[in-house]
Amino acid sequence: MIWVNDIVQGVLLGGLYALFACGLSLMFGVMKVINLAHGDLAVVAAYLAAGLVTVLHMPTALSILVSIPLFAIIGYVLWRTVLQASLNRSVLTTLLVTFGMSIVIENALQQFFSANSRSLSIGALATDHFNVGSQITVGYLDLAILIAAVVVLLGLQLFLSRTRQGRLIRAVADDREAAQLAGADYRHIFGIAAAIAFGTVAVAGTAYGVYTTFDPTTGTTQLLLLFAFEAVVIGGLGSLWGTLVGGILLGVVQDIGAQISTADLLLAGQLFFLLVLVIRPQGITGSRRTA
Amino acid sequence: MDRQETAHDLTPLNLPIARRSVLKGIGAGALAAGAGGMLAACGSGIKGASSVTKKDIINIGFITPLTGDLADFGASDKFVLNTIRATATYRKGFTVGGKKYKVNIIVEDSQSSATRATQVAQQLIQSNNVDMIVTTSTPETTNPVAVAAESHGTPCLSTVVPWESWYAGLGGDPLKPTKKFEFCTMFFFGLEQFLGCFEPMWNRIPNNREVACMYPNDSDGNAFRDGFEPLIKSVGYKVVDGGAYPDGTTDFTSMITKFKSNHCEIYSNCPLPPDFVTFWHQANQQGFKPKLATVAKVLLFPSDVTALGSLVNNIATDSWWGPYMPYSSSLTGQTAASLATAFETATSTQWTQSIGSSYALFEIAKEAFSAVSDPHDKSEVANALHTVNYTGMCGPINFGASTAPAPGVGVIPPVGVQWKKTTGKYPFEMKVVDNSLNKSVKIEAPLEPTNA
Repeated sequence: MIWVNDIVQGVLLGGLYALFACGLSLMFGVMKVINLAHGDLAVVAAYLAAGLVTVLHMPTALSILVSIPLFAIIGYVLWRTVLQASLNRSVLTTLLVTFGMSIVIENALQQFFSANSRSLSIGALATDHFNVGSQITVGYLDLAILIAAVVVLLGLQLFLSRTRQGRLIRAVADDREAAQLAGADYRHIFGIAAAIAFGTVAVAGTAYGVYTTFDPTTGTTQLLLLFAFEAVVIGGLGSLWGTLVGGILLGVVQDIGAQISTADLLLAGQLFFLLVLVIRPQGITGSRRTA
Repeated sequence: MDRQETAHDLTPLNLPIARRSVLKGIGAGALAAGAGGMLAACGSGIKGASSVTKKDIINIGFITPLTGDLADFGASDKFVLNTIRATATYRKGFTVGGKKYKVNIIVEDSQSSATRATQVAQQLIQSNNVDMIVTTSTPETTNPVAVAAESHGTPCLSTVVPWESWYAGLGGDPLKPTKKFEFCTMFFFGLEQFLGCFEPMWNRIPNNREVACMYPNDSDGNAFRDGFEPLIKSVGYKVVDGGAYPDGTTDFTSMITKFKSNHCEIYSNCPLPPDFVTFWHQANQQGFKPKLATVAKVLLFPSDVTALGSLVNNIATDSWWGPYMPYSSSLTGQTAASLATAFETATSTQWTQSIGSSYALFEIAKEAFSAVSDPHDKSEVANALHTVNYTGMCGPINFGASTAPAPGVGVIPPVGVQWKKTTGKYPFEMKVVDNSLNKSVKIEAPLEPTNA
């Protein structure tokens, strides 16, 4: 039963990884941009949620209704002003630009919010849980995060494959010139994809702020960003539901590793990541086409 | 350390530079005040040009983590510096060997990084020609600074670091602490005092004498595993070690399962703050509810507490300073309680323990300089540091005491405190519940089980 519990907790943990990796996966899958400021943007979202809770006295869970659209707008504007211009130069430039953004964001947060750590409160829900059998405990918060991850990732996957707008995004991602010839404004379409990616970052940042504490440097010092990258790679670059699978697999492997020896939690995860890279470099879902 | 290194992996080379330039903005006040030091630094390049002024100034370097993971420790240091600089003693300067000297404090941020701490220590020693370095807050800051000071022959005073860690960091063996480090001293306490603080509290709550130990795989965690666990066993408690987990662990299921299956009723730890928040949430969720939690390294500061909300109620920890300490400043006579209130008025935030320890650094620096004939004679100042015996903001500190655990170590005995829900200005407050190690501190509240 201990092992079953480990797997259950691992799946729940994987939900957090997958939710965190969603924006990363989308930005990479569609625009081929590796967003190094991803973690810092999530921290900004957490601060935004904290601000909304304090100033507007709204419940933490509802604050995402404000922060998602706000982040989507930020994402669109940032894409049209900074990121598109750097992508036009080269993919390498986007790495440098997002890395620069990461530094700017981190220091700006430090300037405004001091280096103290914070957390988002959701009251008793943080520890409320139900039991399955005698050994397995499922926290409502963890379950909510997992459900959010499934809804966001599968929802986006469906959006990309089934809707007209989604098809446009994929068309531009697959062949920008051809899509342009057919009359698609790729800047606008990439901007929309960035807006969606940023919207998911708002959800992920809020979830993280509830899960544990954050401070201005969390975006780069915490391992979560690394886990998110790993989830994307394990699941298969460019595939959103692959990211969900990748995140969950990573969570499960980590928890099983920790059960064998507490010290091996990270090691187990990294070894699994390497193993996937060696055996299936295209990722578990194995799709070579982009989302 | 694991996490530090990972941080470097993720943030390539130019980050520290960018951070530094922003920090200059933050520390503008510190820089302005440090202008004398900068002049002195320039002067050292042009020989003799400013040698007269340079000689009349005592430069004290102060290294503390103002930003980064450990920023909670340094959060009150700006206030402490302002307070210290405003005291008559520091404003007017020290009289040393019958001569008046101006005092200049140069502040450097360790950015919670050991590498950065070494850099700024060397910079202070070589470019700013400081006469003494004072440093505070965890081995990550104090140890590299002490090592740099010892090797360059600059007097150095550390605090808020377990003495074993400090001693081992300098190359000594805490088990045979006979070696004296010529230039380095420190005041704080060690593992023995942690036990002396925690064990009486464990004894007062009826329990099955099984201690759940959550010690990470980092320098503090391994020190607790190697040094504290034998001490726990020596007083008749059983140790259940949760394993050397890596810093930044996001899921503690396996450890919680272990603690639960061993029915541990006491909980001890020394994690990084975010890891404790994650652990404590999950422990509550998965039904690990020890009767008494005595934590080290976390919940030392109010900002940690808000993150856990009501889950923090009746968690116990150690306290080396607080408004409840019956002590007062050796510089101005201001009491501990009044200093804490002044902090709350000036910053609108709750007082922290660091205020007292950082304040005492500058009291001791003053004591040492007052006992020498030439403040620029580093050996003389270092010797004076080793013999300081005074009573100030942190109570009596005697570096030469026969009871000192190691040469150059002054011990300040901590008291046991619990975070208690209040109806006052702040949701939770530290209240003294056990004074076994320091009877001069009054008990403020009864010791209550963390989970009844």
